[in-house]
Amino acid sequence: MANEKLQIKKLYALSSENRKFSFSLPLKQTIRIGKRDYEVKLKADEKYGTYILWKNRKYPVEIVSSRQNKYEILFNDISYTFTVETPFSLKRMKVLNSGRDKVETEFIKAPMPGKIIDVLVREGSSVLRSEPLIILEAMKMQNEIISPVTGTIVKVAVKPNTNVMKDDLLVEIKL
Amino acid sequence: MKIKRILIANRGEIAVRIMKTARMMRIETVAVKTAVETNAMYLSSADVIFDNTEDISEIPVFLDIEKLISIALKTNANAIHPGYGFLAENAYFAQKCIENKLIFIGPTPDAIYKMGNKTIARKIALANGIPMAMGSEGNIGTEEEAVVIAEKIGYPVIIKAASGGGGRGMRIVRKAEDMEKLFIIASKEAEKAFNDPSVFVEKYIENPKHIEFQILGDTKGNVIHLGERECSIQRKHQKLLEEAPSCALDEELRQKMGSMAVQIAKAVDYHSAGTVEFLLDSDKNFYFMEMNTRIQVEHPVTEIITGLDLIEQQIRIANGEELKYKQNDIRLEGWAIECRINAEDVQAGFAPDPGKIESLNMPSFPCVRVDTGVQAGSSIVASYDSMIAKLIVKGKDRKDAIKNCKMALDKVWIKGTKTTLPFFRMLVRHQKFLDGSFTTAFIEKDLEKYYFNSEYEEMLAAWLATKLFVEENLNDNSINIDFEHGKEMSPWLLNKRMNQF
Repeated sequence: MANEKLQIKKLYALSSENRKFSFSLPLKQTIRIGKRDYEVKLKADEKYGTYILWKNRKYPVEIVSSRQNKYEILFNDISYTFTVETPFSLKRMKVLNSGRDKVETEFIKAPMPGKIIDVLVREGSSVLRSEPLIILEAMKMQNEIISPVTGTIVKVAVKPNTNVMKDDLLVEIKL
Repeated sequence: MKIKRILIANRGEIAVRIMKTARMMRIETVAVKTAVETNAMYLSSADVIFDNTEDISEIPVFLDIEKLISIALKTNANAIHPGYGFLAENAYFAQKCIENKLIFIGPTPDAIYKMGNKTIARKIALANGIPMAMGSEGNIGTEEEAVVIAEKIGYPVIIKAASGGGGRGMRIVRKAEDMEKLFIIASKEAEKAFNDPSVFVEKYIENPKHIEFQILGDTKGNVIHLGERECSIQRKHQKLLEEAPSCALDEELRQKMGSMAVQIAKAVDYHSAGTVEFLLDSDKNFYFMEMNTRIQVEHPVTEIITGLDLIEQQIRIANGEELKYKQNDIRLEGWAIECRINAEDVQAGFAPDPGKIESLNMPSFPCVRVDTGVQAGSSIVASYDSMIAKLIVKGKDRKDAIKNCKMALDKVWIKGTKTTLPFFRMLVRHQKFLDGSFTTAFIEKDLEKYYFNSEYEEMLAAWLATKLFVEENLNDNSINIDFEHGKEMSPWLLNKRMNQF
């Protein structure tokens, strides 16, 4: 990184939906809309915590997580995930991605912490898209975890009557 | 007033709400302090706090009948208010209160039992000529039996828990092949939630509106209704936004449905506040669904348009007083909307997002009422529901109320958990909500996006991510942070860092 530092003129924030936002360096405290530059300020106070001031309005902001160059930002109560790339890393990423095939295994993770009430599939069985896999109870509600894909169950990682944390692996499905 | 001191057998916003009225009526209150919420806001509103933090029992105290009775006796309370949820609709609890000479602020055990058991409630409604969706005569024991009934009345059908409520133990079945699986799920869920696996089947009304009537009955046999609430904005049978009145009813239909609600309440000698729920189809046919024998979460919208304090009415009725109002005295004025601001992640299918509320700022306008049981520093714990606050907004008519609601939603600042705020910000801009044509299927069928963001919000968030990246990686004078080999850091640590920029 250090030897790249001097040459970086631009940074790209890529959203999880593959929208690209580019910012030139050094990073300005303004954002251009049309022909006008608008000031954007990151501030914090006792009452509101951190917020962004933009066009005379305060928006609450929060950093939910930061992992290397990946950031989850809560902006006005909505979560956005970005990876910030330099022109070099962006190019590298493109090269890497072009050679890669589509995902072959779908990992079904717990969307929330809770208790496994029932496992409706077995290893080796085939499932159709939108078929229920697991009944997960969280905050007194039973939720059906639905298969997002059609495929074969290669792994069932949980048993009934056990507790899971958010993002724990539940089931692996081979496409 | 016979009632001198009330034990609140509940927590959260409803405990705070009950204590507020009790204080106004100069009645003392007792709150129960539990180990999961030792610094909860409701404790600060009580006159007496019973410390139950040492209790190692596995059942929460608010579900422990013997324990609650003994707390009431120990603290010299002579009445118990159950709030909603927990034991609010438990006939045995009401009975136990009476046996121990405690005034139960609610209906009789008999009325709770009859209305709580949906198959009995259906029979009572039928006997009183209340319109109902076709269904099984009583409980059904097996999925085969369910299939037979479903074939007779036609799919889709809905399986419901006989002792159910709050959307649990309910499944919609669209074809015979799904019956076995869904029957088992519904029955298991019913057993778990209500200690009773029995279910019944009825015709599923497609795309109805959920309209409910608030009723008040006293111990002298007087029953009146306080108009309707529109609760069609719901997800998996969990209400998210309620309003009163409903734009789907005209005065004639209101009279008709209201008198049916009063009639069914009279059939069980109902006293206290109660709610009769109906489904209203697109041809304005209405069907009795169930009666809730408790104060409801959404009671404030009725309070706004009628000017009555429903908790006060409950207490007065339990005290043996006669209703001061006749049906003709009830005037519905203006419009009220309630948004349930929950700690849920709208972008992750409304998954609960428990956590500590870092800061909470609610608007204080004359048109806004906030009912909450949390304050900055409180935690939304996974063992209870995910409610943070109810934002209740009034207006002179629906349009005005929506306009005020839109403004108020932008003034709510909650930090620490994700909330349902982005959902409401979307809702108050959605054409189907604005024109009133939404039904209970709205969230599942009419929405492409569950949240609202204005044009530049994502770009501003991208700018912030970039700014963080610059600070962390490119600035020579930036503070070194340890990424702990890529493990996630606490967001609050990061926020502290952010403040140093």
